[in-house]
Amino acid sequence: MAHFLEIDHVTKTFAVNGAAGIHVIDDVSMQVAEGEVVVFLGPSGCGKSTLMRMVGGLETPTSGRIMLEGREVKGPDRQKGMVFQSYSSFPWLKVIDNVRFGLKFRSDLSAKEKDRIARHYLQMVGLSEFEDYWVNRISGGMRQRVAIARTFAAGPDILLMDEPFGALDAQNREFLQLQLRGLCLKERKTVIFVTHDVEEAAFLADRIFVFSARPAKILEEIAICDLLPQSRDLQLRESDTFFRLRNRILGLTRTQALRSEQLEVKGP
Amino acid sequence: MEGGWRSLITFRGAERRGTMMMLGILSFIIVLVLWWGAAALKLLPPQYLPSPGAVVVRFYDLLVKYGFIGDIGISIFRVWTAFLISAAMAIPFGIMMSSFPIVNGMSQSLIDFIRYLPVPALVPLTIIWLGIGEASKIALLWLGTFFQLVLLVADDARRVPREYIEIGLTTGAKPRHILGSIVLPAMLPSMVDNLRITLGWCWTYLIIAEIVAADSGIGYVIMSARRYVKTDEVMAGILAIGIIGLATDQAIRWLHRRWFIYLT
Ligand SMILES: Nc1ncnc2c1ncn2[C@@H]1O[C@H](COP(=O)(O)OP(=O)(O)OP(=O)(O)O)[C@@H](O)[C@H]1O
Ligand SMILES: [Mg+2]
Repeated sequence: MAHFLEIDHVTKTFAVNGAAGIHVIDDVSMQVAEGEVVVFLGPSGCGKSTLMRMVGGLETPTSGRIMLEGREVKGPDRQKGMVFQSYSSFPWLKVIDNVRFGLKFRSDLSAKEKDRIARHYLQMVGLSEFEDYWVNRISGGMRQRVAIARTFAAGPDILLMDEPFGALDAQNREFLQLQLRGLCLKERKTVIFVTHDVEEAAFLADRIFVFSARPAKILEEIAICDLLPQSRDLQLRESDTFFRLRNRILGLTRTQALRSEQLEVKGP
Repeated sequence: MEGGWRSLITFRGAERRGTMMMLGILSFIIVLVLWWGAAALKLLPPQYLPSPGAVVVRFYDLLVKYGFIGDIGISIFRVWTAFLISAAMAIPFGIMMSSFPIVNGMSQSLIDFIRYLPVPALVPLTIIWLGIGEASKIALLWLGTFFQLVLLVADDARRVPREYIEIGLTTGAKPRHILGSIVLPAMLPSMVDNLRITLGWCWTYLIIAEIVAADSGIGYVIMSARRYVKTDEVMAGILAIGIIGLATDQAIRWLHRRWFIYLT
């Protein structure tokens, strides 16, 4: 049976000034099932974003290939939605229009239908009251929720999120993680989520891929879905199970963080 | 109010609009008082430094008796015609430069070459080619602004965050959608600033064009006044340009605040 998403022996080397340059991804393979929430965890600069961007069609692998729903990923399109850490929404549009933007270029829907969908997702992220606000006038956490609503509204097959909560404070992060986990379960969306926050990874993931320092290799795959229940709440965060899980992953990543530090010092 | 005064001398202190306007007016008053004082004390003979009052009277005379308003009109017409032609060409061209390497590669060096030619050096050429009519003046202004503006617009477009473009690409937008719905609105605030600055250059080049060869316009009035050492008339001409510049700038800034209200 074909997998929903298959990353098949992918490597990536960025050319620097024309010469063969930085080796970023080293022979990574993985399969992701439909509806799964997968988290990429790894030290800063290891290549997580690059791998995710390749899934999104925004970068091309140097070798290997990426198959989504049986077709090779050739470039970006509406099937692969993205949420970024910064510049995640358009300041010249109001909140509701930012969400509508996800549907703007679909000719198969009427304006009325687009409006209904946009409002639906705005409500799902709890921002209905703010639909007429400029995005610069709402908090950073709310801005990320706008981006999430826009991406869900666009109806992609897979959601790619690159440290979307990276710039938020701890309370906001927790709340958004909770909301996102709920939304993903409800919509049965396939998600790839990039982070270097271990707790965030454990709380959100069905499965975590822990990457090594650059060039990124898969160090370990942790099936969180076997260790934690499907639906998760804030109580779970305080439980012993969660705490032990977190410590285990933290132990794994600590050695990597050290290595990447040394890499930076010796690096070009 | 005490806090207000302190912030004025605080490093990167807060600026309040009303206070800033008062300071602007104050600076004019100071210059006027100094000027008036220097003229009243006859530090320089009146042929060199007429009093502010004399210049204002002269200005009024020019407007009412000598048809100066027509000269102002023709100068404004030249500036805006050239400016609008420049902008209408530079905006699409600059955006294309930022969008397609072929356009950028073909035009970058050429534009840099032309851009560094001093506009006065081109006056003889425009006169030989186009005579001394309106066309040659507008051509000169165009030469002076188009090549600068293209590069500014291209830079504005390039500075649009990559994330914005990628949001477009991942919502199924075609390049033309991305240009129209993302790049243009994202770059608009800084582009309007650059247009405002370019409009200022237009005035510089206009006066050059009118001083060298013209029989109308503010620059022509200034130049003929100089011939008879009518310093008050020269200064009245300069005053007219200053007032027009100040008014245009303030108007565009005001529009900027209204249009881009979402930035604040
Ligand atoms: N377009 C590019 N050209 C050259 N090098 C690049 C490019 N994009 C990324 N890199 C390099 O590839 C390496 C991996 O970058 P990437 O952004 O994928 O890391 P990351 O794991 O997402 O890091 P972070 O946690 O800091 O976001 C970095 O060393 C980066 O400098
Ligand atoms: Mg990254």
